[in-house]
Amino acid sequence: MSVAKPLPHDAARLHVTGQARYVDDIPTAAGALHLAFGCSKVAHGTLQSLDLAAVRAAPGVVDVLTAADLPFANDVSPSAHDEPLLATDSVHYVGQPLFCVIATSHLAARRAAGLGTAKIEPLPPIFDVETALAQNSRFEDGPRIYERGQANTALETAPIRLSGQMEIGGQEHFYLESQAALAVPGEDGDVLVHSSTQHPTEIQHKVAEALGVPMHAVRVETRRMGGGFGGKESQGNALAVACAIAAMRTGRPCKMRYDRDDDMVITGKRHDFRITYDVGFDATGVITALDVRHDTRCGWAQDLSLPVADRAMLHADNAYFIPNMRVESHRLKTNMQSATAFRGFGGPQGMLGMERIVDHVAGHLGLDPMAVRERNFYATGAAAPPQSTHYGQEVDDFILPGLIAQLKDSADYDARRAQVDAWNAEHDVLKKGIALTPVKFGISFTLTHLNQAGALVHVYQDGSIHLNHGGTEMGQGLFQKVAQVAADRFGVPMAAVKITATDTAKVPNTSATAASSGSDLNGMAVRIACDKIRNRMAAHLAELHQCNVAQIRFEDGYVITPAQSYTFAEAANLTYVGRVGLSATGFYKTPDIRWDRIKGEGRPFFYFAYGAAISEVVIDTLTGENRILRTDILHDAGASLNPALDKGQVEGGFVQGAGWLTMEELVWDDAGRLRTHAPSTYKIPAASDAPDIFNVALWDGENRADTIYKSKAVGEPPFMLGMSAFFALSHAVSACGPDYPDLQAPATPEEVLASIARAKGV
Amino acid sequence: MYNFEFVQPGSVADAASAMAGEDAQALGGGQTLLPTMKQRLASPATLVSLTGIADMKGVSAADGVLTIGGATTHATVASEAAGSFPGLAGLASHIGDPAVRNRGTIGGSLANNDPAACYPAAALGTGATIVTNTREIAADDYFQGMFSTALDEGEIITSVRLPIPQASNYQKFVQPASRFALVGVFVAKYADGVRVAVTGASEEGVHRWTAAEEALSANFSASAIEGLSVAADGMINDLHGTGAYRAHLVGVMTKRAVAAAS
Ligand SMILES: Cc1cc2nc3c(=O)[nH]c(=O)nc-3n(C[C@H](O)[C@H](O)[C@H](O)COP(=O)(O)OP(=O)(O)OC[C@H]3O[C@@H](n4cnc5c(N)ncnc54)[C@H](O)[C@@H]3O)c2cc1C
Repeated sequence: MSVAKPLPHDAARLHVTGQARYVDDIPTAAGALHLAFGCSKVAHGTLQSLDLAAVRAAPGVVDVLTAADLPFANDVSPSAHDEPLLATDSVHYVGQPLFCVIATSHLAARRAAGLGTAKIEPLPPIFDVETALAQNSRFEDGPRIYERGQANTALETAPIRLSGQMEIGGQEHFYLESQAALAVPGEDGDVLVHSSTQHPTEIQHKVAEALGVPMHAVRVETRRMGGGFGGKESQGNALAVACAIAAMRTGRPCKMRYDRDDDMVITGKRHDFRITYDVGFDATGVITALDVRHDTRCGWAQDLSLPVADRAMLHADNAYFIPNMRVESHRLKTNMQSATAFRGFGGPQGMLGMERIVDHVAGHLGLDPMAVRERNFYATGAAAPPQSTHYGQEVDDFILPGLIAQLKDSADYDARRAQVDAWNAEHDVLKKGIALTPVKFGISFTLTHLNQAGALVHVYQDGSIHLNHGGTEMGQGLFQKVAQVAADRFGVPMAAVKITATDTAKVPNTSATAASSGSDLNGMAVRIACDKIRNRMAAHLAELHQCNVAQIRFEDGYVITPAQSYTFAEAANLTYVGRVGLSATGFYKTPDIRWDRIKGEGRPFFYFAYGAAISEVVIDTLTGENRILRTDILHDAGASLNPALDKGQVEGGFVQGAGWLTMEELVWDDAGRLRTHAPSTYKIPAASDAPDIFNVALWDGENRADTIYKSKAVGEPPFMLGMSAFFALSHAVSACGPDYPDLQAPATPEEVLASIARAKGV
Repeated sequence: MYNFEFVQPGSVADAASAMAGEDAQALGGGQTLLPTMKQRLASPATLVSLTGIADMKGVSAADGVLTIGGATTHATVASEAAGSFPGLAGLASHIGDPAVRNRGTIGGSLANNDPAACYPAAALGTGATIVTNTREIAADDYFQGMFSTALDEGEIITSVRLPIPQASNYQKFVQPASRFALVGVFVAKYADGVRVAVTGASEEGVHRWTAAEEALSANFSASAIEGLSVAADGMINDLHGTGAYRAHLVGVMTKRAVAAAS
């Protein structure tokens, strides 16, 4: 069995020896050219003219493109056709590409780009939520509203009522490999694009549109990304399209990679949110009514903001059954980078809002927030019929009570909470906090048609196997997990399976590797393709040996018939000589999902993934400095395909989530310039910021839904485990005074200090 | 980066004459200057490297004064001052990262006078003497606001003389991304009184906190400055922190430094 084994990442050796090839490492033919964008320095205005004389005259410059030079479509948006590659008559944010330099080196292109000047007649920009609302600057006509029950009437009759507001900051993806693309012109108008993208098919589609050619003329290949996190779902389009256009224009290979500063200034980030709530509950903490409002700044273009904001609404309940619940979501158009997909895709923001409400209710009642959580969990167990979410999906796989009981036990939660309280009673300057937060995360793309995948598998006559599917590798280990599936289907060792780059010419019409769905979708497609070939091999051997197909086993590198064992290679060769095809495609679509995003009703998710984390922190009440002392996690990956890789996802997800909520802070100035555009100003967690004691375990259970080997998706859900660090900080601050700390995110030291003052009521 | 000439004289005299050339600039460890040149914000015609001048390197203690050559690296100070002046060695050992500490020099740091740099706090906090190829400048006269000093064109810091305190300590609240000081406070206790110098916080650059000096001179304990506070006016207000937060941190860091002083 190759599945369920904790095998290392297939490219681990290449990663650590520097041999793993990323787009910028691909050797190019002589004469390759390099691209850089010249960008707007104004947040909003009318573009009157561009003076590019100095750019054209700069050393190494071969050509300079403006919108007028583009041959066909000038659009790099994923769907709404509102994102020109190069600005035409108006500019919408500081960093918007205005022109594109083609030069003999990366540096020459970048330097020349700095020499262009744009005449822009400024228009009043919109940056903040208030201004956007006042000017009705938004995507879609009005807010989306999902409601179950009668939140407003139930609020009026609720025994206790509280309201509050929380600001949640955005987040830079900070993939180690910045955005990159390389386009190689082919014959007869064809082009090959290497792109650091989570979505090769979209790159193919956008390049085809931009060149005015059918999709068959464009081939996109992606071997791996150096991190994606959602930031390479749509944000790679601009580079790939620019390279393809430049390659066709010059007849030379064209490459573009964003310098880190350019990457941070040009590309979209996680959506920031303001959550405003009005909650009704009783004295025991049972929540009866909730009216919650989301205001999110989407930036200048629509990008993926609608599904992101939808997913925030779909996670506004997190793990709690709230009989009367109303969620109102405003997607605001602002003059900033266009916010985009980021691990969790809005889910974390929605969920954090709910956890904040629970924390506030508990603070008000003087209860352990964990008690309030438990009182509001979805029903579970044989006795209780499943309850539905506010969008009408039955929660029929709710395992959190059991999972949390196990976690509390292994981490000694109850005793440690008492110890923290006792410690706090004796210490004035330092205060500790501890919190347990649950995660319930819906798995599937909410845009139902995206839940499909394809695979292509060849068995060669020597028994070696070529594996290809539509998923992309960004370090998460998808390729290895899927290869484990293939090896298992054929009963061969891992070395027999060759993992190959994602390629639109091999598997067409793929979805982005996103929504945590990579292994679920592509694993299934590969299984189907492998089984087709295996069944053909078995049928052929059964005929040779006059036995039953069911009697033939594929095990340990052998194909075993009742009469004789063959090595897999011998069996493959026999099948080949018998003139039986050894290549197959596989296609999979997720069953049992339907969703009406306007009504907010349906069963958008195939299943839920669960997890819980306990974090203990300490704060310095004089400065607000803080550290995570210990974190214990129990996460549900179903029957894990690869526990080593899945644990890696859980650890990384937690650290990234905690970083989002405690240290990563995006700052724009009054002119709309992003001031945090490099690691010297924007702090992501380092290895030393991970908790000193970090116990991560996987829940021992299988997925109830029929997924690949009963595993569960694990890409995004653990990100939200980082919430435990935030609420542990809230707990620590609450030890400083009688009032609710009202902690805002990110909880930087300065914010923690401010919330200490709020807790003290000063 | 633009083209430039590179010279590496072996003596202060040769360096001084090389500095007399047009658009010549001193090069210490290059930790500030080279990035600036790469961004084309500086374009010296000639770089005069000071790291080949043996006279400008090393740490020595005599008669209650620690003398550090102007081209001595942070790493050397961290190790060699550890016995004689632990407060200073501690400061040097937390500048940047190992690469920065093995290249960056005290002369470069003081000449640059970055408002978030560490050494200016030690120089001002000890009442050091900045020795150049032409004169000696008291620290109180040397620092003249952000990135600005009493140095003349072409003047070279050959050494720095720091009176060794009875007890001292430097506390740095790091800006977490760059690890420069969001606020840094150097406290030094001498027989005739206490000096407190603050870096990172003020729009005026490094400065002394005289109210705290008086209180601590009377009673060298953290409680002595309990009632004191620093006004937020004139404090740096930027993406890393508000002026009010910095003002608050000055008090906390000073108390920490007093408590930790040895
Ligand atoms: C990643 C990083 C982190 C850092 N973190 C910190 C930190 O935490 N705290 C801190 O204080 N600093 C920090 N620094 C700054 C570092 O300490 C300074 O770059 C260094 O001190 C400057 O010294 P240098 O020898 O490299 O000077 P150079 O870069 O060579 O020169 C700087 C300036 O000083 C002039 N100069 C150099 N030597 C002399 C001399 N002897 N006489 C007259 N003029 C001279 C040069 O002409 C130039 O104008 C950091 C730097 C980096 C790159």
